Amino acid sequence: MSASLVVATSLEEAARQLAEGARPIAGGTDLVVGARQGKAPLPERLVAIHRLDGLRGVDEVDGSVRLGALVTHARLAADPVVRARLTALADAAAIVGSHATRAQGTIGGNLMNASPAMETGGPLLCFGAAVTLRSASGTRTLTVDELLAGLGVTTAEPDELLESVTVPLPAAGTGSCYARLEYRRQMEIAVVGATAVLSLDDGGRVSRARVAMTALAPTIRRVIGAEEALIGTDAGPDAIRAAADAVAEAATPISDVRASAGYRRAMAAVIAQRAIEAAAARARGGGDAVPCPASPALHGGLSS
Amino acid sequence: MATTTERPTVIRQDGKEKVTGSGRYTADLTLPGQLHARFRYADHPRARIIRIDTTKARAVPGVLAVLTHEDVPDVLYGQMVKDRRLFAKEEVRYEADVVAAVAALTEEQAERAAGLIEVEYEPLLPLTDPEQALADDAPLIHERWASYEGDDTMGREGNVLGHSTIVKGDAAAALEQADVVVRSRYVADGAHGVPIEPRAVLAQWQGDRVTIWSSSQTPFPARSGVAHCLQIPESNVRVIVPLLGGGFGAKCDFHYEAHVAALARAAGRPVKLVFSRREEFVAPDHRRESIVVELETGARKDGTLVARRGRLVLDGGAYCGEGGFFAQLAAMHACGPYRIDTVDVDAKLVYTNNQPSGSIRAPTAPQTCWAVEQHMDEVAAALDMDPVELRRRTLIREGDESATRQVFGPLGMLETLERATEMIGYGAELPADEAIGVACGWWPSFGSESGAYVKLNGDGTGTIVTGAQENGSGAVMGLPLIAAEVLGMKPEDFSVLYQDTDAGPWDMGSSGSQTTFNNGRAVSAAAGEVRDKLLELAAEQLEIDPLDLELVDGMVRGRGAPQKAVSIADLAGSGATIIGKGSGVVPENPACAPDSGCVGRLGMESFLEPQLITHAVHVKVDRGTGVVRVLRVAAAHDCGTILNPIGAEGQVLGGVVMGIGQALSEGMQLDAMGRQLNPHLLDYKLVTAADAPRIEVGWVQTPAVNGGPNGAKGIGEPPCVATPGAIANAIARAIGTRVRRLPMTPERVWEAAAS
Repeated sequence: MSASLVVATSLEEAARQLAEGARPIAGGTDLVVGARQGKAPLPERLVAIHRLDGLRGVDEVDGSVRLGALVTHARLAADPVVRARLTALADAAAIVGSHATRAQGTIGGNLMNASPAMETGGPLLCFGAAVTLRSASGTRTLTVDELLAGLGVTTAEPDELLESVTVPLPAAGTGSCYARLEYRRQMEIAVVGATAVLSLDDGGRVSRARVAMTALAPTIRRVIGAEEALIGTDAGPDAIRAAADAVAEAATPISDVRASAGYRRAMAAVIAQRAIEAAAARARGGGDAVPCPASPALHGGLSS
Repeated sequence: MATTTERPTVIRQDGKEKVTGSGRYTADLTLPGQLHARFRYADHPRARIIRIDTTKARAVPGVLAVLTHEDVPDVLYGQMVKDRRLFAKEEVRYEADVVAAVAALTEEQAERAAGLIEVEYEPLLPLTDPEQALADDAPLIHERWASYEGDDTMGREGNVLGHSTIVKGDAAAALEQADVVVRSRYVADGAHGVPIEPRAVLAQWQGDRVTIWSSSQTPFPARSGVAHCLQIPESNVRVIVPLLGGGFGAKCDFHYEAHVAALARAAGRPVKLVFSRREEFVAPDHRRESIVVELETGARKDGTLVARRGRLVLDGGAYCGEGGFFAQLAAMHACGPYRIDTVDVDAKLVYTNNQPSGSIRAPTAPQTCWAVEQHMDEVAAALDMDPVELRRRTLIREGDESATRQVFGPLGMLETLERATEMIGYGAELPADEAIGVACGWWPSFGSESGAYVKLNGDGTGTIVTGAQENGSGAVMGLPLIAAEVLGMKPEDFSVLYQDTDAGPWDMGSSGSQTTFNNGRAVSAAAGEVRDKLLELAAEQLEIDPLDLELVDGMVRGRGAPQKAVSIADLAGSGATIIGKGSGVVPENPACAPDSGCVGRLGMESFLEPQLITHAVHVKVDRGTGVVRVLRVAAAHDCGTILNPIGAEGQVLGGVVMGIGQALSEGMQLDAMGRQLNPHLLDYKLVTAADAPRIEVGWVQTPAVNGGPNGAKGIGEPPCVATPGAIANAIARAIGTRVRRLPMTPERVWEAAAS
């Protein structure tokens, strides 16, 4: 059990606590559950940040959406701007854990836990999101790509607190999707996940593509080969299949209790294909093309 | 929800406290001065113990007791075979064998001390595959098996813990004459019971007597176990079960009550043990046995089943417990509720170094039914016959003779088939990725001694004192309905005192779907005695012959003369002692062939008032991923007369959902050394409420002739029997090939579809 817990009432106090060696806790859905499962004991010193109301907002600022570190998955999944413009992020936030996890778990905690299976990581990576880290000596900004360094590892210093995540709003004509292989409909964890963000020009050609894979490598990764397979095409079946195959090829899956490496690799192509198809459908057809969250609807294909 | 019954429904008395969170479970109890218990488990799934040293553990501050086999009587225990000790002595036989126990002031101290116990082992190669355990050169899991005290009819021999055969006619000859012969092999992985409440035990001594609060489904067997293991009289042991957070069979038998009682005695303080989820997952009897099922069936073109041969191997795990009858049950399920001319089935229950298997809700039945019902669909395909039509022609009817030559009384097996297929819309056009599958099954009623008292209170209410145990199914909660009907009172007029071995008469516990069947009979008989007493008192007061009196709406009144009446409250309030006791007559199992080459007879060679089941399911298969969604389930049951519709329907809904989990996602995984790889709720995937399909329930109510109260049978276990088989048949129809391993995970379905 933890030796001390300080409930911070200001960002400055939180930063000071971190400088003195405390670790932050917000929703606790990773930290506490992990300790109970024996993954890692609770830190000796904790600083609770859940009363820092300034970290709770979802604000549109200068063509970006700024998410406070304490924004919960439930809040993200329900936000109209996120649903309309950053749909893949809403797809992801809506299927994290259970209702209770989504009500309690935060975007900041999810990112800093740096799990290769985290749902929101792929969308944030593909949208080009950046994080603001605060320490007693000030703030700095990193892209999510720069932040995620490996399995459970970030490039943040131990005394840095994730304060906010800034997600640039994509251009009109962009559709996005996060899809996950789901064995069941709640309390699921990604065995294979894929994100696609596609922008179409007036002629229906892909002008910009971002594709990322989840739970298929030690970190969530973009797959450049898949993006290149899509750019300049009309996102037709052949291009999408080529992109999906590129994801499967880039994957470095493992075998464990959840699936064999062979099945994971095969599913990498299937799930990537469905995510790209859904992103393209959303880019073409607006909001109603694929319901949000997409994953439940994508099991069995887009038609149903 | 379809129901055909007009009986009143009882809202369970324990519902509100459970739903609002005010209910108290064993882990919620705290006694002054209570210590916390921790176990030291085996470091290897199979190893010889060379030396145990508890010196360092005893030196930990706050530790008040450390126990090993040296500190308790040197006795073996086990309900059917005495093959284990409280604490491992010479050998550990599976990963959660208990080697030592600690009681300390805090959980942390206990945990630390348990870790400091030094145990030196000679590790041995574990035997985890039951088929390999049958090999001639396989090492013996229990070297001294022959010296163990046990049921002589089990057919024990080396690693074979139980052996059962069913032989009817000459199956080999009949197979040669058949128009088609189908052979199949199916393998079911182990699964788990997974009650949401992990087990907990709290023990307190007062003088020579110990009171034990335990999350047990079977308090009387638990009491016997404590008395035997600690060598004290049963009258010195009182077992009380607070609210029980589910059991599903995982909390049957006797497990940890004596460990905790021994710790409490040694420490001179109350001691509490609360399991973590992981401990619950590896505990004995938490597991449904894995089974290998090989079947061979011969049929004529018209569908007549001329022969069935079967070979089954069941994984009993490291110890027998109460599950020694599994070989016979599995053999009976390998025959199923069908007319088969000749039968030759051989089932073996085998010791391994795996977790002991327990009576998880309908032990052996869902897995065996899953294999048999897929096999039946394969026979239908070989005959080019619709699988429902094949069942229609071969299911048992009244007057038919079973594989063991039991002659069936009235039963509605065929009606369950017609009902379920009608509810699901069998035969309708479906999209290419959707299909309907059907499976039939059965489950016996269990006759057992059981007792109850009914007493009236001065205000005209009553109290039922019963030995029966409520495991969450609502069976005990339904007992007031039975007493109320006999006494012309309302169910809500009764309180129930239960789950206390010092209060109620002996009962086998919440297992075998037997509570309503047997304790319902007892309560009915006890209420009958109260009725007689009331009639006698009223006859005197009203000066009417008792035969001309009736009990209606809390009154005793003249038949045809309702104005001549006295209230039950007035009679009970007069100070007269109005107590009834009852047990009723236990129904006997039907006669069957006395000698048809069968071995391993343990009382299940004939099925007393079988509960009959057809489930039809509508699934959607995602061919790309192998993910299967169950869209609809139609469940038709003949469980005799339905006494409490809401309770019976609840059992079917829960059983169907449990069956979906067994079918699609719930499987125990082991590493090469026999350790469980997924003993937690993240990777042992239960079906969630979000996955539950629409479930329609249809009752075929053929009153049981030789059954429970008012023609009732049991209902707790049958609902999880047929669901995996029906889902398997639907998947096969959708993807055109069979999945021959349970659970039928997305990866396995995808592999089958790709092959």
